[in-house]
Amino acid sequence: MKRALITSLVGSVALVGAAAAQEPIRIGITQNNVGVDSYQTTYEKAFIEAAEADPQVEAVVLDAGGDVARQIGQMQDLIQQGVDAIIIWPTNGQAVVPVVRQAHQAGIPVVVTNSQIAEAGFDFIASFSGPDNITQGRYAAEMMCDALDDAGRVVQIAGQPGYTTAIERQKGFEDALAEQCPDVEIVETQPGDWNREKAQRVMENFLTKYDDIDGVYSGDDNMGVGALNAAKAAGRDDLVFIGATNFAVGYEAMGRGEYWGSVYQSPVEDARNALATAKAVVMGEEVPFLNYFDTPKITQDNMGEFDKPVF
Amino acid sequence: MAKTDVELAVPVRRDPWITRDKVVHLLQTKGLLIAFALFLVAFSLASDRFASVDNISTVLRQVAIVGTIAVGVTIVVIGGNLDLSVGSLLSFSTVLVVDLHDKIGPGPAILIMFAAALAVGCVNGLLVGFARLNSLIVTLGMLSAIQGLTLIYSGGQNVDIADQEGTWFAFFGRDFLLGVAVPTWIFLGLAVILHVVLTRTTFGRKVFAVGGNPTAAAFSGVRRARVVFSTYLISAFCTACAAVILGSRVMGSQNNVGQGYELVVLAGVILGGTSLLGGSGSIPKTVVGVLILGFIQNGLLLLGYPYYAQWLVTWVVIILAVWLDVASKRGRLFTTTS
Repeated sequence: MKRALITSLVGSVALVGAAAAQEPIRIGITQNNVGVDSYQTTYEKAFIEAAEADPQVEAVVLDAGGDVARQIGQMQDLIQQGVDAIIIWPTNGQAVVPVVRQAHQAGIPVVVTNSQIAEAGFDFIASFSGPDNITQGRYAAEMMCDALDDAGRVVQIAGQPGYTTAIERQKGFEDALAEQCPDVEIVETQPGDWNREKAQRVMENFLTKYDDIDGVYSGDDNMGVGALNAAKAAGRDDLVFIGATNFAVGYEAMGRGEYWGSVYQSPVEDARNALATAKAVVMGEEVPFLNYFDTPKITQDNMGEFDKPVF
Repeated sequence: MAKTDVELAVPVRRDPWITRDKVVHLLQTKGLLIAFALFLVAFSLASDRFASVDNISTVLRQVAIVGTIAVGVTIVVIGGNLDLSVGSLLSFSTVLVVDLHDKIGPGPAILIMFAAALAVGCVNGLLVGFARLNSLIVTLGMLSAIQGLTLIYSGGQNVDIADQEGTWFAFFGRDFLLGVAVPTWIFLGLAVILHVVLTRTTFGRKVFAVGGNPTAAAFSGVRRARVVFSTYLISAFCTACAAVILGSRVMGSQNNVGQGYELVVLAGVILGGTSLLGGSGSIPKTVVGVLILGFIQNGLLLLGYPYYAQWLVTWVVIILAVWLDVASKRGRLFTTTS
């Protein structure tokens, strides 16, 4: 009797296992704008690779091309197809809320990746998977305090105005700097729009305006290297450069000793984390609402532990 | 002649020093320079760094990319058309020249990039000149098409030049000649050459003719299609020159690096007083327009105003400039027939 019970238990577990193997988890993703920058391009490649490597997962990979209307259409298609979960990289955190709500009402869990949606949509999503930009800003502030021995004057070149990522990194940096080394003063902040040439122009103007700057914080390395170009052209090799989202050019400048540090954010990790989060949600596992992936500090001292970024 | 009309229309005031038609005439001919001078004085008073030699040479270098494109676009606009494709052509050309630099060397890279840019100019010229399509639609379409081409070419990856110190390609964006930045030389050099072409050659007169009165030009034996075709080649050539400056200055390129340049360029051209309807305009005035834009942005930044303020002020200035221009021509601020 006892033996029979165990056999049937084992049998039913095997049956469930077999069913899972036969019917893959279908996960749809609608991305923001693949191909517009290296980060998103690498992200898509890594996502497809991760999905193909996992026999349990079948992925439907879509791209909105930066167009909100197209993204809403893609969300509706995915709802129609009855996928098991949808991952969305919002083209606009506010405008996608209604369609995310539709998916929620249709019983399809939604995972937001990379950039958070507006707070009005929080009730309709299962989880957010992405980098913690406030922490990234704080890391940058900690490195700045270290590099300047807790005293000095810095300028900040922020990302595109209105971008959540830009706002959060700036806030994280400013709050942590005031807390950890109040003698490091931010003399001015200007946006560089994630654009290296624009950042170079902004830095040239900063160098004209201020004789006594000790450090530069940039919202990503792309802009940071633009600022570095400007400083080198002006013969200012005494400045400390701290960035975020370590780019290949930033990594190389760090190797030459011109760039102090950055935050290592891998699009590969970002993509894998999103897929794993969506899969866990479908499997009914406990997933934190804010499911961040690790973005460690990278400096001239520890850069050997990291691969050179592919973008 | 226009002056006589104004004198007839406007009653003469008693004050012998400042009469209305004197002011109107001054604004008509020197309005832009007066506005420019006022700006420079105001900013110099507000910021002690503004009028420094260092800052002026920085701004001259910074406006070189927009300016180099703008002198070419001025000719297209005088010919009665628009060129909105220059922003994404700048992206494409910069990505191309930077990417090829490490693969085949700077010389061949520059040559191939110029050939590709001129090919785009040919397409614009064929469609607007020979097929007689609307230039706004053609170049707006090309704006998107070339952006797509750029993304296909690069696969979305940024491109960089590995050896930034050891390449002579650095000359165009980073070096100085006689104390003046090379980009500034390229910008002003092209402006002088094209100004001569526009004012001293038959081709230049034909550009004004097809832009001002296409019917009269046709009856005078001017072949509109050929002239328009050439203006787009000039515009593409200038954009390719700007791409060399940009690629050399940054030593790398993002796929969308030229995004929005078409509007800034057009802003400079409009501010310079070149008519969007064609037939009138001048390159030196475009140079002044571009300089005003550059100094406004630089000045506001030195005063510590945020980015948003720069755009707001820039476009308010442009609208005021256009209004002032129109108002001085008709002698009153608002039209009487409405």
